[in-house]
Amino acid sequence: MIEITDIEKIYKMGGETVRALDKVSLKIQEGEFTSIMGPSGSGKSTLMNILGLLDRFDNGRYLLNGTDVSDLSDAELAGIRNKEIGFVFQSFNLMARMNVLENVMLPLVYGKVPYKERRRRATEALEKVGLGNRLEHLTNEISGGQKQRVAIARAIVNEPSVLMADEPTGNLDSKTTEDIMRIFQELNEEGTTIVMVTHEPEMAEYTKRIVHFRDGVMKKDEQLTPKQIPKREVE
Amino acid sequence: MFIKENLKMAIDSIFANKMRSFLTMLGIIIGIASVIAILAVGNGAADEITRTFSDIGATTISLNANDPEQSGDLISNEDLNVLRDSIDEIRYISPNETTSGNISSVDESRQAVISYGTPDLQFVSQSMSSTLVEGRYFNQVDFDESQDVIVIDEDGAEALFGTTDVIGETLRVTVAQSQMNLRIVGVVEGSFGDMQGAFDTSQIPLFAAMPQSTLGNQVPQMAGMDTVSIEVESTDQIDTVSSQVVRLLELRNNAVGDNVYNATNFLQALDQVNNVLSLFINFIAAVAAIALLVGGIGVMNIMLVSVTERTREIGTRKALGATTRTILVQFLMESIILSLIGGMIGLTLGIILSNIIAGALDIVPIITLGSVALVLLFSTAVGVFFGIYPARKAARLNPIDALRYE
Ligand SMILES: Nc1ncnc2c1ncn2[C@@H]1O[C@H](COP(=O)(O)OP(=O)(O)OP(=O)(O)O)[C@@H](O)[C@H]1O
Ligand SMILES: [Mg+2]
Repeated sequence: MIEITDIEKIYKMGGETVRALDKVSLKIQEGEFTSIMGPSGSGKSTLMNILGLLDRFDNGRYLLNGTDVSDLSDAELAGIRNKEIGFVFQSFNLMARMNVLENVMLPLVYGKVPYKERRRRATEALEKVGLGNRLEHLTNEISGGQKQRVAIARAIVNEPSVLMADEPTGNLDSKTTEDIMRIFQELNEEGTTIVMVTHEPEMAEYTKRIVHFRDGVMKKDEQLTPKQIPKREVE
Repeated sequence: MFIKENLKMAIDSIFANKMRSFLTMLGIIIGIASVIAILAVGNGAADEITRTFSDIGATTISLNANDPEQSGDLISNEDLNVLRDSIDEIRYISPNETTSGNISSVDESRQAVISYGTPDLQFVSQSMSSTLVEGRYFNQVDFDESQDVIVIDEDGAEALFGTTDVIGETLRVTVAQSQMNLRIVGVVEGSFGDMQGAFDTSQIPLFAAMPQSTLGNQVPQMAGMDTVSIEVESTDQIDTVSSQVVRLLELRNNAVGDNVYNATNFLQALDQVNNVLSLFINFIAAVAAIALLVGGIGVMNIMLVSVTERTREIGTRKALGATTRTILVQFLMESIILSLIGGMIGLTLGIILSNIIAGALDIVPIITLGSVALVLLFSTAVGVFFGIYPARKAARLNPIDALRYE
């Protein structure tokens, strides 16, 4: 479903040029749970942003569900981000003045879903991440782990074909990290395709596939059996 | 995106920074409040003036002969007759002059304002009513033969004789050291009417009217006609009759082009007053416009700050599927709501203010639906005009640049 071929991303800073991505080719099938690993500055986020249609690339080809995305207009890209891609950010990026439910409903607002339907689907998504009892809370009234779960609910509420997470546990402690990873594993078992950026090997162990990067070049692509997390009641 | 969501977002974000939003609105509040107050008080004043002037008479032409060297000889009685006969639209025409004098009966002596003219004076005089309660007005025969007759009003009759039944009584009238004994032929309605006796009127001059010919015989400097009032049928005849009168007089007196004769009317005076009024209104309106401009710049400034502060929010929204247009509408909505709330506060303040000012000036403020619509439209326009740039700036942000913004 994701197929990139010889993707290049070049940053020109003054006289210097940085090849953030150097002829990267990658295929991700439906149902995969892929982690992108590499040291800082290796181009992980750059790749993720291109895959998520947040950024443009300089050379190469990107087919998303068979469509060449370089032909698409800004409005069309926004539509695909809304329907096909769910984002989870390191710093949660929730709307401060909205409550939990409103945050999760936001993608549906942009998708022009009627209010009742929005409310139903958002509540469902929040129940999935264990926050069915926090609908009316403001985002500054909940913990970091809960915030990230709200963000995950927001990412899956439109049932996207791929969920993209850039260091989703970067701001969380190890216990909360486990909770988040378990939710990812559960979502993946239910069929959601997930791509996750991390620079911690322990995190990558929870996924089914690790793609290694260094200096904008793909170095290694390994399949693995994901480490299971013991079930635990999340509060 | 749905209007309701946008509205809620805009209002939430405005109320999240109450003090900041209020300070931003201040310019608009002041601008709109003054616009409303000016319109209300200005319209009220204009209305008051128009009413006053139309009471006096919008069908009256005031004809003046002004040549300092030839005072008194410029309009003759013959001229008046010719004018009356040749211009059909003239209903009444009479010299309309007043002088002060003294009137005494056997028992009483009082100061008086004496009007004099032709019999038509009764219809053009502003100092006395034309409604007779006793006897008759002086007539053409009285005028032509310079009869010693006088007309007084009820108040005068009461003051001098203690009754209004005074027809045939004789009054001694003194004007400019000349004495005349005049016979009362008529009594008109008094100006105090029901108020008579309510207060001491002994210091207030009486009113009387007499033929100019009679007065002119005794006091030669009052024989000339400098000011003549002409009454026409309807307001729209004023302009044509005015120019016909002037032209005819110029021809008859060999004064073409000398600019001796002047016809003015209350409409012109009203126009002049309205001109002054609108000049004043325009001046204050300019001040209000500046306040609105400053207010608008304030809105733009705060919206730019808001866009910068919320860059990451914008990036997130774009990641979630917001299009350029959605973001544009969102921020534009916010600036419009901001100005509109300012406009509505200003409207309320303006209504209060206009009532206070109008109260002090003793007029009724007029707040029309039109002026309310105008200010609401105006504040919306300010919101759009000064909000479009920040909103475009927000909408055009590249999603990834916005998300990465620290
Ligand atoms: N907007 C930009 N302008 C210039 N250079 C950039 C920009 N964004 C990224 N780069 C450069 O591209 C390279 C890859 O950056 P990227 O953010 O993808 O790294 P990363 O693997 O995500 O690192 P980290 O683990 O620290 O997040 C880096 O050398 C970075 O300096
Ligand atoms: Mg990164």
